Amino acid sequence: MHVSIRGAFRKNRFGHIGLILLAGITLLALLAAVIAPTDPHLQTRQSFEPPSASHILGTNHVGQDNWSRLVHGARTSLLVGFLVACAATLISALLGVSCALTGGLYDGIMMRLVDALIIIPAIIILILIFAYVKPDIHFIIMSIALFSWAGGARILRAQTLSLKERAHIWAARSFGGNNWYVMRRHIVPDLSPILVVEFIHAFRRGVFVEAGLAFLGIGDPTTVSWGTIMRNAVEYSYMNVWSWWLLPAGLALSIAILSLTFIAHTLEPIMEPRLREEASA
Amino acid sequence: MLELRNVTAAYGQDEVLSGIDLTLNAGEAVALIGESGTGKTTLGHAIMGLCEGVVQGSILFKGKNLLSLDNEAMRKLRWNEIGLVFQNVNNVLNPVYRVIDQVVEPMVVHGLKGKREALLRAGKILEEVGLARNRFVFYPHQLSGGEQQRVLLAMAIANDPELLILDEPLAALDEVAKIQLIPFLLKLNRVRKITLLVLTHDIATAVRLSDRLGSLYGGRVLELGPSESVARLPRHPYTRALIRSYPNITTSKDLQGIKGRLARPVSGCPFHPRCTQAIEICSTQVPRLKDYEGRIVACHRGGVIPLMRAVELTKDFNGCRAVDCVTLTIYGGETLALVGPSGSGKTTLARMLMKFLPPTSGRIYLEDQELRQNCGFSSRVQMIFQNPGESLSHRLTVLDLVSEPLEVAGRLSKEERRQKALQLIAEVQLPQDQTLIQKHPHELSGGELQRVAIARSLALDPDLLIADEPTSALDPSIQAKVLKLLLHIQENRGLSIFFITHDIAVARKISDRIAVMHEGRIVEEGLTSQIITAPEHPCTKALVTSAPSLEKVQKNGVETADAFSVGASEVAKSAVDPL
Repeated sequence: MHVSIRGAFRKNRFGHIGLILLAGITLLALLAAVIAPTDPHLQTRQSFEPPSASHILGTNHVGQDNWSRLVHGARTSLLVGFLVACAATLISALLGVSCALTGGLYDGIMMRLVDALIIIPAIIILILIFAYVKPDIHFIIMSIALFSWAGGARILRAQTLSLKERAHIWAARSFGGNNWYVMRRHIVPDLSPILVVEFIHAFRRGVFVEAGLAFLGIGDPTTVSWGTIMRNAVEYSYMNVWSWWLLPAGLALSIAILSLTFIAHTLEPIMEPRLREEASA
Repeated sequence: MLELRNVTAAYGQDEVLSGIDLTLNAGEAVALIGESGTGKTTLGHAIMGLCEGVVQGSILFKGKNLLSLDNEAMRKLRWNEIGLVFQNVNNVLNPVYRVIDQVVEPMVVHGLKGKREALLRAGKILEEVGLARNRFVFYPHQLSGGEQQRVLLAMAIANDPELLILDEPLAALDEVAKIQLIPFLLKLNRVRKITLLVLTHDIATAVRLSDRLGSLYGGRVLELGPSESVARLPRHPYTRALIRSYPNITTSKDLQGIKGRLARPVSGCPFHPRCTQAIEICSTQVPRLKDYEGRIVACHRGGVIPLMRAVELTKDFNGCRAVDCVTLTIYGGETLALVGPSGSGKTTLARMLMKFLPPTSGRIYLEDQELRQNCGFSSRVQMIFQNPGESLSHRLTVLDLVSEPLEVAGRLSKEERRQKALQLIAEVQLPQDQTLIQKHPHELSGGELQRVAIARSLALDPDLLIADEPTSALDPSIQAKVLKLLLHIQENRGLSIFFITHDIAVARKISDRIAVMHEGRIVEEGLTSQIITAPEHPCTKALVTSAPSLEKVQKNGVETADAFSVGASEVAKSAVDPL
């Protein structure tokens, strides 16, 4: 794995675009408190207002400023995406690597669990869960993460199986390094490019699933989310408000997903050895 | 006939002999070997009563204690019953007498013969020792060193002594002259039944002249046993080191000196500061001579220790037997080369010894303790891998790589680790400058990489290095340097090397012993010189004949192909039937 992440980006135009878009959204989210003219939760009597100087994107059905909600929605999306990615990557790394190193019954059981998680449609299970439990944002993040690590764990396990037979790992063991040492000092750093790709995938999934659940109305209704904005806009589509209510949120979500997809695409050669050789040739 | 009990000799404060116990039976030839300064000459002089220092203990010659005799009695004994061939240094011969007169002198002085008779006999003896007739009347300065030595020998045997002490008897002679004189000396011993005590650093002469061979160090006898067996398989680390540093025509391994320099420690075994397997007791207590299987050895550890033993080790992979009932011993401080064609199970064996693979059956002992998981194993046994590029993580710098084992062991602080790593880098003869230690593996050459790998394996001060084809990825000139480095490290640290290679020519240069592996079995094992010159198993023969050679190049390949077909057919057989 001698392909560096920076090197992969240097050559790829999509990668640049993805990074710029993601940076834009991140900036928006970070500066939300400054950019947003009003509190996104503040309800006024001026509902269904078209765009104006005071409300750039107009207001919604309960008189909240759409622009403020859009900007704060970016915060939610990115936060959920990021935390889901962190949790999912951590779980997949720990389980994938430990399965490969330990083997035996533990490996067998965990890999069957991974198989199960991969074939079970996560969205449906989440809908079921959230229908019964009124979830808050932390619960949402945790649930999405718990359904997002399986694919990564399988890839990491496979990579670790090949890594652990490499001479430098044997060398580390010959110095007396135990499983934990080998994992911490060698395998995880060696897997870092894959972990980055896994992270981006989980990130995208987190953003998407959160928006989707909110759109279906089974998220946390008090959280400002692009999904909720779109759900409300669709509800009031007969008011002919789509161009300043539905469209911006949809675009924002698309851009977020697109930017992450571009980044993932750029990093793909790192994941796939055959693509890597092609690129180097 | 001669019995030395606890003989000590000291020049003032300087103790040269510290408790020699030695018995010579009548008609026997005993040789003691040792470096210069180990007390050989003093011992000879002490027996002759010529020692200028204070000699204590008892030297019994035919029941009489020589040390209690007065000068007159000793004078009678000297030359008549005990002869000494001086080492030809400082011109022992009197420069103003002709040499024949000097041979006559002891006979006349002791009143054994008349002048005429003595002259006749002197002439006969001089002829026997190989001095040309026309030189009998020369003065010593007109003779060469070798000729002077012959005269000294003639003087010593003039009076037919019963015991002859030879102090570096042949050191001044060239090899051909030595060979001529040896049968003569042997005849003295075998036919005339003169007891010989040979004191020399010339091991080949010692072996040829003696029935029993011993080593002398720090004024003590460290090992004594039948000459040929001592020379073949020395048991004491000192004897082995001495033999290893002695150039002879059959040993193919590069010469290795003995680490450190000759110095007398205050307490304990005299050899312990230079010994490769010293333990705590060695520096506090003097080891006594003990009997080990017909050999007398003065060593707390019973001589060279078996460091690692594999007993009936077997490994199956899915019903295919990779290693089949291998029993092997790696002794402390030696290089054992494991030679065999690819696929003969060498690497599998190494991996089992490294505990990377559990054996299907069999046991592995490290110094008589059975191996268990992680009980200081990594600080005893380390591995050098075949491809240094793979065994070094590409993410780490040279400094990090070398300090990694120390980091795992976790005993040292960061700064101490750095210092130790720099020492190790210097030990493997890499430059210690900042640019190198900050480099990553892909910036280094193959030779440098293997040096880094060697430095890593030395970090925990192991006793045994298992080197799996460490030089097969290197070109010949770098291979030569790395092999030399390994030998150098072995000399300094006294570690054992288990050297795995498919190239018997490489094994020949680096190993003391060779084990040949074929189809998972050890088919032949023995001294390197023996295996190379007289291979017995067909596979060994094939390996030796097909080994690279610049002299025996067979352009048409007939001879080599013929010899190889024996091995090849077996290989082919094994391909068909893996079991």
